Amino acid sequence: MFLHRFYPLTLLSLILSFLAITAVNAEPVIDKPAPLFTGTAADGSTINLADLHGKTVILEWTNHECPFVVKHYESGNIPNLQKQAVAQGIVWLQVITSAPGKEGNVTGEVAQKLNAHRGATPTNTLLDGNGSIGKLYRATNTPQFFIIDPKGVLIYKGGIDSIPSADQSDIGKAENYISAALADIAAGRKIANAVTKPYGCSVKYAS
Amino acid sequence: MLPLRSLFFSLIVLFVYSGYVQASTFESSTDQVKAQLIASVDAVHPGEEILVGVQERIIPHWHTYWINPGDSGLPTTIDYVLPTGSTVGGIQWPTPSRIILGPVTNYGYENEVILLSKLKVPDDIQTGSAFPIQAKVKWLVCDEICIPQKVDLALTLPVVLPSIASGNGSPLIKTAQTTLPTTSPWPYSIVKSENTLAIKVTDTQFKNSNIKNVWFYPEKWGKIVHNAEQPWKISGDTLELHLKSGDEPLATDENLSGILTLTIDGPNGSVTQGYQLAAPAIAIPTIGEIDTKAPDLVLSSALLLALLGGIVLNLMPCVFPVLSIKAIALIKHANHDPLENKLHGLAYTLGILVSFALLGTILIILKAGGAQIGWGFQFQSPLFVLGVAYLMFTVGLSLSGVFSIGVSVMGIGSSLANRSGYSGSFFTGVLATVVATPCTAPFMGAALGFALTQPPAILLAVFLSLGFGLALPYLTLSQWPSLQRRLPKPGVWMDRLKQGLAFPMYAAAVWLVWVLAQQAGINAVAIALGGMVVIAFSAWLYESTKTGIKSIQRSGAGVAGISLWLALIGSYLGIDTSPAAPISNVETSNTFEAYSPARLNELRAEGKPVFLNLTAAWCISCLVNEKVALSQESVIQAFNQADVTYLKGDWTNRDDEITQLLAEFGRSGVPLYVYYPGKNSALKSPIVLPQVLTPDLVIRTIKPSLMREKEV
Repeated sequence: MFLHRFYPLTLLSLILSFLAITAVNAEPVIDKPAPLFTGTAADGSTINLADLHGKTVILEWTNHECPFVVKHYESGNIPNLQKQAVAQGIVWLQVITSAPGKEGNVTGEVAQKLNAHRGATPTNTLLDGNGSIGKLYRATNTPQFFIIDPKGVLIYKGGIDSIPSADQSDIGKAENYISAALADIAAGRKIANAVTKPYGCSVKYAS
Repeated sequence: MLPLRSLFFSLIVLFVYSGYVQASTFESSTDQVKAQLIASVDAVHPGEEILVGVQERIIPHWHTYWINPGDSGLPTTIDYVLPTGSTVGGIQWPTPSRIILGPVTNYGYENEVILLSKLKVPDDIQTGSAFPIQAKVKWLVCDEICIPQKVDLALTLPVVLPSIASGNGSPLIKTAQTTLPTTSPWPYSIVKSENTLAIKVTDTQFKNSNIKNVWFYPEKWGKIVHNAEQPWKISGDTLELHLKSGDEPLATDENLSGILTLTIDGPNGSVTQGYQLAAPAIAIPTIGEIDTKAPDLVLSSALLLALLGGIVLNLMPCVFPVLSIKAIALIKHANHDPLENKLHGLAYTLGILVSFALLGTILIILKAGGAQIGWGFQFQSPLFVLGVAYLMFTVGLSLSGVFSIGVSVMGIGSSLANRSGYSGSFFTGVLATVVATPCTAPFMGAALGFALTQPPAILLAVFLSLGFGLALPYLTLSQWPSLQRRLPKPGVWMDRLKQGLAFPMYAAAVWLVWVLAQQAGINAVAIALGGMVVIAFSAWLYESTKTGIKSIQRSGAGVAGISLWLALIGSYLGIDTSPAAPISNVETSNTFEAYSPARLNELRAEGKPVFLNLTAAWCISCLVNEKVALSQESVIQAFNQADVTYLKGDWTNRDDEITQLLAEFGRSGVPLYVYYPGKNSALKSPIVLPQVLTPDLVIRTIKPSLMREKEV
């Protein structure tokens, strides 16, 4: 009696075995699962992206000494976006990929002081001195942003706004991609400009 | 030491950032850059066009940026302030170099760069007056850290009568002109495929020249991945460079513009020269693109096509026997309770739909995982091929009457009243689906290809439609007793028919073993045939002990079961599934060449017509087409006359390059026949031929274009 059930089942399990072969997506690609990481935060805690499932996560690559970062912090642009995002229930993580000895490399304590001083209120700050998260996301610029939706899917990668310059006076004239993205997220829309050109200083990886 | 250094630089950043260096002379300096404003003349004539420029001399290890700074950075900007009526052109950017910092690749200039622009002096300017040129220059200068800087430069030139010579201006202008890229002296083309761009440049001298390095600098961000390798090669007269598409890939009709640099070893060391390129990429129009324009229409026709395809599948040699069994069962029980027949029909339909839903779901999951898959891909696994071969053989054995399970096999005459009868019908549906898969490709290529490019819901809809089509004839038969009564009366002929139908199943098994031989080698054939002997033995043992006393019955079934398992496990372990083992059955012969993307690109760059055949050993319709059309003397002659190169790609085993090419044409499986017209042809885009070929059709595709080529 069992034979005529056994054959189809063997075949179906053979087909199913194809599933095991598929590779995990390791590149940051829009509409694909964002690469997973675990990192140490400025407050000494450990952050695992997988644990943030169910929440929108913004990754902001930063380096407080980079003039482009200075532009958007001194003007209050990024601190305002952080406040708005956190109020929307979004997890905002700064990522500092500067290698030890390079510009922007700081201890967790200094990172927290810098934020307090600048009126910056990200949810937390990831210390990525070995560049592993930076390389996983192929981060090249400070500032540069990645947004991950509650399902863990990458929904934005790119810059802060449309005018690449170090002049604060350009901020008002530029189209702010992050505030547009926040509005799209709040309205439950798909982010209109999901890929934009980031501009700024290079991420200071260990050479 | 290090914190001190970084503090020191922070101070510089703060200093420079808070107070830009102000200047109003032709020369101005920051700590990193010395800038001067230069002109091609010492005096200007009214209405004359001159060159002006800014020279940046940069301290060692620092750099400023090209128009596309690469992964980070900013290009220098020059804002000229000029008397009314003057016009100034954009910056003529010299050939940049690559500055690599870990995974970040930048395009810019080290040591020195001169940025020229054309300037038109107004016609109405008074001779004897002064012509003031002001330049507000902004740059970002970086070593590991970056500093935005700004200087104001000014230069005043006298306006003189046309009779008075305007002078030679700055000698730096000539120096600057030598650093500019020149227009390409060679024909070139850009070919776009899904994730790559290929630049092809043709020159007879390439093979003799000492090209050491090649690099392409894209003018716009996002067109290519800046830090990706750019592999290149020279084959024949063609230099081919491969680029990886970036975050904002080239749109249709969009030009890829930038600078191609060649570094050539000469007697005085190596010299790098830049060549300006700008051309739209040749992209093969995909069916997918057309689909997006009218998705509703295409969806409904895909569903209809799938339904019709499913119905036609019932007549395929692999499915027909299974269906016949069901039909015979129905004839036998035509006089039973019609409700039971109806329920059997529904169970069978459900079995098919569940199997198709499962297949569709697996494809969706594979697709989401980023795998390059296509329909028929199951057959790229030798284990799957072997499994189906065993299944065909076993079904054949039961049709021949070697064994039967319970009262009979697969629901033939099984007691309609019991529940397992319905599950028998259900699994007959599953079986029909499995045996139908090799036959789906030829009929269903278009619809399934469409489905695979669509969102999961549409993909499932097309699959279920196909399944419903497959189930429909039997379902109809089972639902209307009046139809059943029109069937021939039961009799001995049914047994004979059933036994006769075993032979297509054996033939299918033979064919699958042949496919297996090409995938896993000759040893796999021995394993497969050995496995079949064991299966036949198990079936015979089971059948011959079945009618004995309980203990014989049990031990017979036990031994049969064990040897069956041994056969399956032995096959599983014995078949070499490593990807290195399979051998391609496509080797270049005198009528065709083996397909490779490089060869296709090369032929197309040369402007030669190409006929491409993507095939697989397990694809029956592919083999039929090759036999009845492509191997015919008339077709081979036509290929020769029209100088068509016949390329053959083998998808018997997994091949991502072929899968990608199929996807470009909106297909997910073989066969695919494409005719790429030559460059002289009036036809510009490739022609996709139908999946059923005749010699006449192939010749007609090639010949009209041949005639047009001759007229041109």
